[in-house]
Amino acid sequence: MNANISNSKSTKVGTIALVIGVIGTAISLFGFKQGWNVSEVRPILSWLIAIGFWLSILVGMLFLIQIWWVFHARWPTIIRRQCEHCIAAFPYLLILFLPLLAIPLFHDNPGLLWKWMDGYNELPGHGTVAEDPLYVWKSPFLNIPFFIARAVAIFAVFIGISTILRKWSFDTDVSGNANNTHWSRRLSSLGIFLCAIGATFASIDWFKSLEYHWFSTMYGVWFFAACIRAALASIIILCVILATKGYLKGILKQSHRYDISCMMLAFTVFWAYISFSQYFLIYSANIPEETFWYNMREKNFDGELNSWWWVSMGLIFGHFLIPFLLLLWYKTKVVIWRTVGVSIWILLFHILDLYWNILPGKLIVPDHGEGYLVRQFTITPYDFTAFIGIGGFCIFAMCRSMKKTEPIPIRDPNILESLNYSE
Amino acid sequence: MSDKYGIIASFPDTPSLFHAAEKVRDAGYKKWDTYSSFPVHGMPEAQGQPRSKVPIFTFIGGITGFSFGLVMVWYMNAFDYPLIVRGQPFFSPVFPFPIMYEMTILLSAFGTLGGMFITNFLPQHYSPLFNSETFLEVSGDRLVIAIESIDGQYDPVATRQFLEEIGGKDIEEVSA
Repeated sequence: MNANISNSKSTKVGTIALVIGVIGTAISLFGFKQGWNVSEVRPILSWLIAIGFWLSILVGMLFLIQIWWVFHARWPTIIRRQCEHCIAAFPYLLILFLPLLAIPLFHDNPGLLWKWMDGYNELPGHGTVAEDPLYVWKSPFLNIPFFIARAVAIFAVFIGISTILRKWSFDTDVSGNANNTHWSRRLSSLGIFLCAIGATFASIDWFKSLEYHWFSTMYGVWFFAACIRAALASIIILCVILATKGYLKGILKQSHRYDISCMMLAFTVFWAYISFSQYFLIYSANIPEETFWYNMREKNFDGELNSWWWVSMGLIFGHFLIPFLLLLWYKTKVVIWRTVGVSIWILLFHILDLYWNILPGKLIVPDHGEGYLVRQFTITPYDFTAFIGIGGFCIFAMCRSMKKTEPIPIRDPNILESLNYSE
Repeated sequence: MSDKYGIIASFPDTPSLFHAAEKVRDAGYKKWDTYSSFPVHGMPEAQGQPRSKVPIFTFIGGITGFSFGLVMVWYMNAFDYPLIVRGQPFFSPVFPFPIMYEMTILLSAFGTLGGMFITNFLPQHYSPLFNSETFLEVSGDRLVIAIESIDGQYDPVATRQFLEEIGGKDIEEVSA
């Protein structure tokens, strides 16, 4: 009886999410097309940022599921099921990613978004991309066929692993077959490596190669840290909603929320550690091929502080210091509205972090020699529609998956321990 | 009453110890404790203990370490003996950050350890409870509640009766 109420709720929420998703993506794709027609990249970047945001949440959840399998974690069993619903959205993200792949294939200027894709693109003070020694040296990696092959492989890994893990976990509900648990653990111990490689190349290809001159060995780890943080914050929000309005009422306990919040604290520190290490190494080495990436995010070519300086400060204090200090308090981790508040805060600053990583770019100024302008921090209506639209599809996929199986893995070997979990 | 440390009662299994602890808590005793050779989940709540104060020591240690690292690097590199390294400024919050960070970790660890010792009244080499042969079996399989005579509600007769009511066995007074 309870399952039926949940099912009708899931159907209702899913339908609303689908409608919002269709409207949002339609408006954003209209903007995308306008940008495509006039070779204006900003609406396309909103699409990329929104894809990056939802992808980071899903990838983080996929990592967490596998980490929980590998470590034989018993307490998150009921939470794992909610993540398994969320990662049903990977195929939708693949479809929503396709417009970006259409640029190198069908646009007159294949380098509209990723400028290295067109050898005729001009660089400030460097001639064209094709004449750029750094590009020539990197071209065995940065070329369109290999880029598309990598994108396919990355999505194949995410979709493949998430589909198999979901299938086995859902099968346990029906058959009670313990082999599903054993096989999930085995797959996860391999899958963590595959997903780590996938997430690293995804961040390098789609975000870092926007400024292909730049080097950073920290970038993949930054994306991993950002993914897990976003996933943990989303898990808290989702589980609290399900516990107040949905089927987790009376099942999700304070101890579950407390442990997820502790992980959120740990990964807040980890994100700061990685982000700072990247800055610190580049600051210490002080070579122009690397420092320009941070210079762009601090000042214009003429030395004036630009909008990114404020965003950078916002990230240091808003994305690290404030959530860190708040999460140190026990009360923040157990009082529901405080935990949810910090989670929303972290997600908002995660979006800002993606803006900061993706948006700044060198804009060429005619007759300015080596000078360039930096694309400044702006929020456009298409950003909102892209976030909401793609999010609508993700929530629709989640609700659709929720109808397929039990709300919690009732026949999982560890379910009792998760239900009776205490701090 | 000064010659008696308190009164101890044994309990046959963990659930009865747990529920007895709740009853002692609800009866309003303050100076008492439970003893077992293994941790019992939820016992702090059953005993009505407030949350540990150790995090405060940790936090103060961390803040001290961070400030100490900051001041140390400033004093050495910018004040006492300014030195040009790699053309970087004499002082900036960026390059000494690993120092500040490591000092934060070191002193928060010290704070945690010290705080744990202080809040647990450690080191404590002797307790009058060791006078009781029965109590020594706690390191084996005995589960004990001890109510101390300094508790305001302590009364040799009434407390013994109370412990009997909540299911205590082998009740004995322990001399100080």
